[in-house]
Amino acid sequence: MCFPVLAGLIILLEKKNLSEKKLAKRAGIVMILSGVFLLWNILGESKSVLLFSLGTNLPVYFYIDELGKLFAAVVTIVWIPVTFFAGEYMTKEQDQKHFFGFFLIVYGVLMGLCYAGNLVTFYLFYEMMTLTTVPLVLHTRTREAITAGIKYLLYSLSGAYMVLFGTYVLSRYTSSLNFTPGGTLNQAAVNEHNTLILVCACLMILGFGVKAGMFPMHGWLSTAHPAAPAPASAVLSGVIVKMGVLGAIRVVYEIIGAEFIRGTWVQTMWLTLSLVTVFMGSMLAYREKLLKKRLAYSTVSQISYILFGLALLEPEALTGSVLHVVFHACIKSCLFLCAGAIIYRTGKTRTDQLTGIGKEMPVTMVCYTIASLALIGIPPASGFISKWYLAEGALASGISVFSVLGPVILLISALLTAGYLLPISMKGFLPGKEFDYAHLIKREPKRTMVIPIGILSALALLLGIFCGPLVQYVEKIVEVVL
Amino acid sequence: MSQYWMVVAILLPIIGGILVKVIPFPNLKIMKIYLEYIMVLTSLLVFLLAWNRPDGTLEVIHFMQDLSISFRIDGLSMVFSVLIAALWPLAMLYSFEYMEHENHQRVFFMFYSITYGVTLGISYASDLLSMYFFYELLTLVTVPLILHSLTRQAIHATRKYLYYSLGGAAFALIGIVFLMVYGSQIDFVMGGVLDLAKVGEKKQVLLVVYLIACLGFGVKAAMFPMGSWLPDAGVAPTPVTALLHAVAVVKAGVFAIIRLTYYSFGCDFLRGTWVQAVVMALAMFSVVYGCTRAVMERHIKRRLAYSTISNLSYIIFSAMIMTPLGLVGALCHMVCHAVMKICSFLCAGAIMHQTGKTFIDDLNGYAKKMPIVFGCFTVSALGLMGVPGLAGFISKWNIAQAAVESGRVQALLGIGCLLISAFLTSIYMMSIVFRAYFPGKNFSYEELGEIHDPTWRMCVPLVLFALGVVCLGLGSAPLVAFFNNVANGLY
Repeated sequence: MCFPVLAGLIILLEKKNLSEKKLAKRAGIVMILSGVFLLWNILGESKSVLLFSLGTNLPVYFYIDELGKLFAAVVTIVWIPVTFFAGEYMTKEQDQKHFFGFFLIVYGVLMGLCYAGNLVTFYLFYEMMTLTTVPLVLHTRTREAITAGIKYLLYSLSGAYMVLFGTYVLSRYTSSLNFTPGGTLNQAAVNEHNTLILVCACLMILGFGVKAGMFPMHGWLSTAHPAAPAPASAVLSGVIVKMGVLGAIRVVYEIIGAEFIRGTWVQTMWLTLSLVTVFMGSMLAYREKLLKKRLAYSTVSQISYILFGLALLEPEALTGSVLHVVFHACIKSCLFLCAGAIIYRTGKTRTDQLTGIGKEMPVTMVCYTIASLALIGIPPASGFISKWYLAEGALASGISVFSVLGPVILLISALLTAGYLLPISMKGFLPGKEFDYAHLIKREPKRTMVIPIGILSALALLLGIFCGPLVQYVEKIVEVVL
Repeated sequence: MSQYWMVVAILLPIIGGILVKVIPFPNLKIMKIYLEYIMVLTSLLVFLLAWNRPDGTLEVIHFMQDLSISFRIDGLSMVFSVLIAALWPLAMLYSFEYMEHENHQRVFFMFYSITYGVTLGISYASDLLSMYFFYELLTLVTVPLILHSLTRQAIHATRKYLYYSLGGAAFALIGIVFLMVYGSQIDFVMGGVLDLAKVGEKKQVLLVVYLIACLGFGVKAAMFPMGSWLPDAGVAPTPVTALLHAVAVVKAGVFAIIRLTYYSFGCDFLRGTWVQAVVMALAMFSVVYGCTRAVMERHIKRRLAYSTISNLSYIIFSAMIMTPLGLVGALCHMVCHAVMKICSFLCAGAIMHQTGKTFIDDLNGYAKKMPIVFGCFTVSALGLMGVPGLAGFISKWNIAQAAVESGRVQALLGIGCLLISAFLTSIYMMSIVFRAYFPGKNFSYEELGEIHDPTWRMCVPLVLFALGVVCLGLGSAPLVAFFNNVANGLY
């Protein structure tokens, strides 16, 4: 994981201006090598490394467990295509050195986050992630981008500090801050302080919820994701928000322990907030005209699907959530890359400008449509599988209102998703009689952009069709964690 | 080591400073080299004294009965003196370049040097009266430093400083008098010197006295509402604000509060009383108040001054937890904040020195022209925010540990205040960083003119302090272990 960070730093610090092609090529090579490293890590046994201690009782400790491997794999699988896409996309932007430098550094930091073995390490890399992604968000240096960057920073920091409060308190009431399935709460110490621990759990969930865009802390997503350049938006929406999810999983299932929260007001609060977000995100997406902003609201909604599943504390729901992490990462990155391709080729950013785009960029739009279908949840595409598990989990949980309300809202949201994603495809391919066919230009973007989009959308589809091994893998993880 | 070396350590910078004015140096350069030697020598002596602690108390001047000026090196002295000794020579080096084009340099350096000796006197004082003596002396010798530029603002700031400080000291004196009556002695002993037999029924009276004395020392420690002299003192030259008002003078204030609480009145006497709640509440309020004012402030040095007010109250908050862990947290932040704040102030000074700008709004884009200065500033900003891997995270962690350990609800609310403050800190520090690095798309760098990083005499201290922030962040374990020993009365 140091390797990408170092590579990124080297790129940043190189004074002379490399030509754009070379820069992109280097970034690509780094990513492929990182992919190799990843495979090597994943296929091995679970190992752990104690790097050093920040102070007494503050070890920086890595532990590669199955959950970490899965998340790391997701990050890498998304990152590699996006890097190649960025190679071509960024030729239209300035200051590529900084972009690629930070892009690679962020990847390294995310690896650290996935492999973090205890809460302190996790927090360290979480803060690093926030700090290193800010330059990506404000890359274009416009007024709007800088404001978005500051908003992002402040929201993320407030979330991080909420998590920190929880960490401070938990370090006293747990036997260790290492992530252990089932939790590490020290029962004897906790007994009189139940409320305190519950408050901490609540704060930590809200804190991680900031990154994951849970209501009411979702405000930054819709400004930051559109303002960033398309490859950055893709990873922000596809992967970085998932780190908030990872944080929630780690803390709830592996430090506090699911049993502690089951049936308490914290769980109810979490369920409510996530359902509200699911609905609200979809509604906002439906009404939004700016394409990237629409996708950002969609992310808000989709991540709360995942959070809802986590909040149910049921094995099927957890399976659904983790599966959706994987699927949504592929889908959303693909969608953002498509939006990026459209902007790159036509400069159009609003959905009402996109009539006939299917005729102009057929391959891109086909991929877009496949990804959309996956997101809506139409079998056999991947989204269907994860939503099925989520619904099953909700019904099985037997929690009063939510076991029925959950699937209902999921369904409504799916309809809304269709409503905000499909019209673009439809108008794109079937622009209608008044369309000016004479002025059509075939402007499919270059291969280096189209292939990544293709790969991601293929994954969105194929992971659904051939979901068996993946589902089994996730179920294994869930068994251990829950 | 002999006890007399303590006196040497204190007198060396004082006499050395006086000699600056007396000896007719042929030119300023030679004077500066001479002065730097004095600084380094004194610091080395202090380090040696801490390493090879002399035992026992040395009585230097005897007034009457048991009133005297005496010195002793215990754990707290070691921490404070080593901190001062590490920072002073570097700050002096920095001030050489900074003050290059100023008038009255000799007088300035004389008092700058004398202040070093006086601060050492505070740290080595073995009883309340000796500490009080040097405390008042500190006020007096720092007055010429604030007054330096002789502008109207400077005179006003000095007057405010003087009145506040003398007033505070008077309040503190009340505490000393009562301790003399109700205590077995006025020496500093961990756990306090109150003679419970003599106290008897008068506990409430003593608690009120403690509050008065705490508020008195709290003037120097810039606790709300007595700390408003600190932002005004920002008119002083940056080496003064940096060293004195971020490190020496204000830390002397919290040092005095710690002495009063842990070594004179004693935690066991004070823990659980209404005074603890009141002072803790005041500290918590200062924490949030300081940060809020900082966000609103547009002048660079005033912003950092408000930040200091806030951070000092972290230390006071931690001390008010009144457990050994609380003391550890307080000491930790005392050290970490000193390094971070001196780094920030010196960066601010470098910016003002090179560009002449004093307001935040004028700082757009300068990071490209002064990479070293802004690099160090960013490190100190991230440190103050509490990013893991830097000093601030460690000290906040220790304070939080103490608060959680104590189990007091007020302490937990205090952690909340700390985190709110961290958030506000990120706003007011990062806004400077952002302006400097990301001025916006259509910014023309040529308008900034020929600005570059200052010479090595200013850059080296900056970089060293920034490195210090990182090292404290990564390798604090031995230091914290040492603090634990101090807090448990091992020295």
